[in-house]
Parts: sequence; structure tokens; C-alpha cells
Amino acid sequence: MRESLRARLLLWYGGIITLVVALFAGVACYLGWRAEIADLDRTLRSRAVALAGALAPAGAGTFDLALPMRDEHAAVLPDHILWTSRGELIDRSSPGPDVQPPSVEGARTRGDVREYALRTQSGAWVVTILPLADARSEVWALAATVGGAGLAAIALAVAGGWWWVGRALAPVARISSTARAMSEGDFAARVPVDRVETELGQLARALNDAFDRLHASLERQRRFAADASHELRTPLTTISTEVQWALGRERPAAEYRGSLEICGRGIERMRAVVERLLTLARLDDGTQGGRTVPVRLDHLVAGVVADLRPLAVSRDIAIHVEAEPVDVAGDPDQLAEALTNVIVNGIQYNQPGGRVSIAVQRVGATARLVVEDTGLGIEADHLARVFEPFFRADQARSRDRGGAGLGLAVSRAVIVRHGGTIDCASTAGQGTTVTVALPC
Amino acid sequence: MRVLLVEDEPDLADALARALADEHFAVDVSRDGSDALFRALEVPYDAIVLDVMLPGRDGWQVLQAIRARGRRTPVLLLTARDAVADRVRGLDLGADDYVTKPFAVPELAARLRALGRRAAGHASPEITIGGVRVDLSGRRVFQNGTEVELTAREFAILALLAGAHGQVVSRSAIFDHLYNDESESFSNTIDVHVASLRRKLGPGLIHTRRGLGYLIDA
Repeated sequence: MRESLRARLLLWYGGIITLVVALFAGVACYLGWRAEIADLDRTLRSRAVALAGALAPAGAGTFDLALPMRDEHAAVLPDHILWTSRGELIDRSSPGPDVQPPSVEGARTRGDVREYALRTQSGAWVVTILPLADARSEVWALAATVGGAGLAAIALAVAGGWWWVGRALAPVARISSTARAMSEGDFAARVPVDRVETELGQLARALNDAFDRLHASLERQRRFAADASHELRTPLTTISTEVQWALGRERPAAEYRGSLEICGRGIERMRAVVERLLTLARLDDGTQGGRTVPVRLDHLVAGVVADLRPLAVSRDIAIHVEAEPVDVAGDPDQLAEALTNVIVNGIQYNQPGGRVSIAVQRVGATARLVVEDTGLGIEADHLARVFEPFFRADQARSRDRGGAGLGLAVSRAVIVRHGGTIDCASTAGQGTTVTVALPC
Repeated sequence: MRVLLVEDEPDLADALARALADEHFAVDVSRDGSDALFRALEVPYDAIVLDVMLPGRDGWQVLQAIRARGRRTPVLLLTARDAVADRVRGLDLGADDYVTKPFAVPELAARLRALGRRAAGHASPEITIGGVRVDLSGRRVFQNGTEVELTAREFAILALLAGAHGQVVSRSAIFDHLYNDESESFSNTIDVHVASLRRKLGPGLIHTRRGLGYLIDA
């Protein structure tokens, strides 16, 4: 691709230069030829004038060269042809085919010669002749010089252009080799950018930015897949190990029961993970957006809290709700799940005797829902990641409580689909505050 | 063989410990990295099964710490990610083998036995010594071509002594390799098993070095 681009650029460039040089050489040769001819004509004319002056009347109505002069100067007389005014051939310097006297004065070319016709006052015609060969060879010599210089200039320009275009296009090779490395799986490959001010430098920068985003997105996907596979493989391994053990030999019924209980727990965990993954996938997909109906947020919160009371009681957590009537538009099931996940976290990562306070209020055109717990809190460096799928601030703690780290990811996906925002603030050891804002 | 199983998932740890016990391993379970490291440094395990994803100190860190203290205990990594980079990282950090979840228990057991064999300096699953052939993978013993029936403990003691290249093995070392933390046996039960082995295989095979332990001449 690059070579052909270089060749095409050079072809155009070389073609135009050749055209210019050829035009220039043509004009130079034409002008040279005109000058040669003008020179010839001047010589021919002065010779004709001289010859005409030397003519003397040799009888009534006739002219002839004075014979003594002719004899004396035979060697120096120019080529000529002379006619009387009646059109009779008087003299010619060299034999040749019969020619008629000219009808007009002036220079003309006849075959390989240039001749000049002059009519004397007596009416006789004098024609002087010079060969064109000298003038031609002069012009050829000029053409050779101009053409040679032109060719040298073209060669120099094309060679220089080839080098320069190659240099200018060199980054294209780097860009394409980087893109190739990228497409072959080397996602860390980047185009080296040395001269940013050129167009190619800007292109390289733009490509590198695109590569960065692509790499980050692939990395997220890869981590998501690895995490999902881990969350599914661990219970799967438990189940398969348990089944292999149980089938190893005959065992008492109680041991079979224990095995089935372990398998049941494993299946329940896998089911929960798969269900949430599907929810996330549906929400990310966006095509299955769910319903959009008016939802009383305060009623929704009351329902979710009622469902979670038994869990809160079992953990010795008090739930306190302060809700004013607020309407939002959305899917009540999805919103309920989003709220449930947030409130469950508040209950589970809390201390016995702790509290979860939920406030719903309308602030301008926004419904604000704040869930505040008196729990364990989240380290500052983990805070930014709590909404990422499979992120768990403390793996051991949350696995004991059955979480796979998907709850808040689902909540965020739901809130974002509803055009809202969800934020988390926390002080380790004191508690966590999750704030949800929905348009209403 | 005594094995340390490091797995934070309680159900999996429980299931795997029982399954390995059925394969005649003495298994200790550790549920977090710090506890695992402590045990790995204290107890002369024949192999360690180490889950990579652990709370607190993760599997990589445990492995690194074990190797940093110069322990050459064979380590088999359990990983739920089958990314090549993870496996390479594990092996480069000093792991001897890895198994990806989910796995077949017999395969895990076979890999552990192979690790134990290699650590003891045998590549072959058979040791022949003084007319007795010990088939370590089939867990069978032949004397002059005839199979001898042994209990699991007797077999374990015989395999340990046969694999010791004619070195004396102390009672406490035998005990450490045969029983896990929860066993309530005492090391004098070893003498009972050795006496039984002598009855079955003849008195000339296993020698007693008083105050030191037992050996089988190479």
C-alpha cells in the first residue's frame, strides 16, 4: 500500500516535472531555430543585395554579371540563381533542375536549403541560397544540451522526491506494523510518536488513543470473563468433588444427605451468579429495557424494606425509613432489585445492633434516595471500584455471606438505565452512604 | 502422604478433604493464606494444594513466602482461571504443578502422588527393594511375585521406608507423614504397624535403629 502510494506520488510529480522541462526545452529549441533562420536570412539578403549591385546591363533589357568579375570571384560568389526581367535564366552557381523565377521577394525554405529572392530595380531576379544543414546541427546541439540538463534535473528531482516521500511516509510503516501487532493480539503495542506536529504524528496519536481505549475495554472484558468463570467454577468444583466422593463407595444415608446439601448450596450459588449475570447482560444490552410506568418511590422503598425485615432482624439491625411521596418513571421490578441490593449490603456489612437509615425526598426535579448504614465501611482505595462487577472489598467476608460481588453492579446498571446516578461515600469503621438520584 | 489443602471456600475445602482422605492422603485444611503459610513452615508436608484466590494473603504470596524461606515442599496450584499467564506466573513463582477447576479427584490425587514421588527422588511409580516390589500408584505390594495384603497404614509406612534410599526414618517423621492434625494416634502405634509389616514380609526387611527409627537397606 505504502509503496504504491509512494510510486503514485512520484509518478505524478515526475510526470509534471518532465512536462515542464520538455516544454521549456521545446521553447528554447524553437527560439534557437528562429534565431538561426533569421541569421541565415540576413546573410542571404546581404549577399543578394551585393549580387544585385554587381549586375550590369549586358544588353537592352538584359543583365548579366560582369564576366571579369565573375571569373575573378567565382570561388567567393555565393550560391545563386539569376533571371532576367523576362524570366530567362542568366546564371546559376551550380547545376540543378529547371526552376522558375520567384514571384515574390523574401526568404523561403526549399527542401534542404534556404533561399532569398530579390528583385532589382530593372526587374531582374536574384536568388541567393544557403544550406540549412548548419543551422539544423546548431539547433540539434542546443537541443542536446537543454535535453541533457533537463534529464539531469528530472533525475535529481525524482530521486530526491523518492527519498523525501519515503522519509515522510516512514511513520505509515510503523503505524501499520503496530496495527498488525495489535490485530495479532499484542494489545500493548503502540505507535512510536516522535514528531507530533505532522499530520501522521496526529494520526499516530489518535490511533494510540483508540488502541488505549480498545485495550482497556478488552482488559475489562477479560477480567469480567475470568471473574465470572471463577465465580461459577468454584461451586462447580465443589459439586463435582462432592459427587465423585459420594459415588466413590457405599456410604451411610446421612453422608449422602450431607453431600446433597453441599451440592444444593453450590447449585444455589451458581444460580444466583448466573441470574445476576443475565440481568446485567440484559441491562447492558439496552434492547430489553423493561417497562416505563409511574412508580411511587416511597411505596417501593416500603415494600423492599418489608421484604428485608426478617434478614435485618436475624442480624440485629434496625431499619429506619423517612420517605416523602415522590414519583419516578421506570420499571418497578428493576428499581426494587436495585434498592434491595443496596439495602442488603447495608444490613450485611454492618455490626450487630447497627442501623440502616433510608431517606427519600424530592430535590427540585430529582428524587433523592439515601441509604446510610452504621457498618464496617469501605477503604478509600476500594471506594471507586464498588460498582464494578465481581468487586468485593473483602473477599472472605462477603463469600461467607454468599455474595459474588454483582449486587451493586446490577444496581448501577438499573439506575443508569433510568437516567439516574448512584454514588457511594464511606468512612472505614463508621459506615457507608449510598446516594441514588433519579429524574422525576 | 500428608497434604496441606489451602482453600477458603468451606464447602469445597470440606468435600476435597474427604475425597483426598478416601485416596489415602492425610489432609490438613487451611482456610486463609496466613494460616497456610504458618503450617507450611511448621509441618513437613509431602505436598501442598494451594488455591490461588484466597482472602488476606493470596496463593501467589503464600507460594512466594514458602519458597523465600527455602522450603522445597511440592506445591500444586488450584486455579479457577485457565489464563496461560496465570499458569506461567504460578510455575515461575515456584509451583510444581497446577490443576484448573473443576477437576477430577483421581487426577488431582495422581498428580499429588507423582509430586511426592519426584520430591523423594523417584520418577518411577514402583520401588523394588530386597525382593519386595512396591507399586505406589496401584497401592499394591508383591514379594517374590506374590501379592501381600497390607492395610492402608502399613502400606504408607512401607512406601515411606522404601522411598528413603536406605536412610533411617524416625518415628516422628513417619507419624508426621501419615497422620493429619486431627488424628488422636500416638507414635507408638507406628511400632504396632511395623511389627505387623514384619509378620507379613518377613523379619529381615525392616531394621530398627534403636533411638533413631527404622530403615530398609537399599
